[in-house]
Amino acid sequence: MSLYRYLLLILVSPLLLLWGCGSSESNEKEDIAAGTIELADGWARPGAEGMMSAVYLTIRNKTAYPDTLAGVSSDAARKAEVHESYKGENGMSAMRPVPSRVIESGDNLYLQPGGLHIMLIKLKEGLAAGDSVNVLLEFRRTGTRNIRLPVQAQR
Amino acid sequence: MLWIIAALGISLSLAACNNPDTIIDLNDNSYELLNEDSSAVRFPNDYSGKTTLITFIYTHCPDVCPVITANMKNIQSELADTSDIRFVEITFDPERDTPSVLAEYKDVYSLNHQFSLLTGQPPEIDSLLSKLNIVAEKARIDSLQQDSSDYFMRHSNTIYIMDKQGRIRTEYPANVVPPENVIEDLQKIR
Repeated sequence: MSLYRYLLLILVSPLLLLWGCGSSESNEKEDIAAGTIELADGWARPGAEGMMSAVYLTIRNKTAYPDTLAGVSSDAARKAEVHESYKGENGMSAMRPVPSRVIESGDNLYLQPGGLHIMLIKLKEGLAAGDSVNVLLEFRRTGTRNIRLPVQAQR
Repeated sequence: MLWIIAALGISLSLAACNNPDTIIDLNDNSYELLNEDSSAVRFPNDYSGKTTLITFIYTHCPDVCPVITANMKNIQSELADTSDIRFVEITFDPERDTPSVLAEYKDVYSLNHQFSLLTGQPPEIDSLLSKLNIVAEKARIDSLQQDSSDYFMRHSNTIYIMDKQGRIRTEYPANVVPPENVIEDLQKIR
């Protein structure tokens, strides 16, 4: 009887193992399929009323499909746009608008000082360190996301 | 005898390496500028006797100029002794950067009394920037332009060290230079 149990265990164990692996893969796929756009590490620069601020954050596409950052807005400013700072002719610093940016499935989009950033144009009120600011991000596939970010000075 | 001459030659070469040459000499120039508190500044004369870090910004700049200002602050905070050092930020954009606008910028970025934010009449600023080989030009972004005062600027990205005699001795890419590189040169020049 014990020999029979032993043989059964030898036969069944690999099947259980395979089932377990299959189950794990299936869960991962479900996670990606049901995943979201994650927004992390966000902050905004201080700025005086009527002036500019910039917003920085990391956007992680944890969905199974590409998505596109197609627009931004904020109730803190008259206008908001995604811009990119770059080094132009003769090493000069320059800036250009980025109307949309595709984020592939599993990829991160980094908005950081000296590169891509959300420009808050003509602030309705001054922003000081310790304040917070609302920013709306429009994604073509997953829709609109609202995020509240701290205002802080760059170190 | 030959050994002594050779040793002297090597010592002189090393001394030359340790002391950066003059890039621009401002001694024969004087520019009438305004501080952020509207007081008159004669540049570079008023900084004679101080080693001065000089950079260039404009206050409507949302991204790169605040990085430059943060870098200037980092250099200041990493220096053990700043008593003989001054920090100067000169605007590219004197039309919009009046003393009161610069004062607001100084307040927003919590810059202390060792910082001077300088503006002036546009021809005077143009003349100074030209002497310092700094380039700045207006750039329009169609989606943002509602009137002639809505513009951004393409600009040089530079920090200079000016010695106590009004000579520019070293230059750096302002938004990316590690503070320790500037501090190392400051210790040789001050």
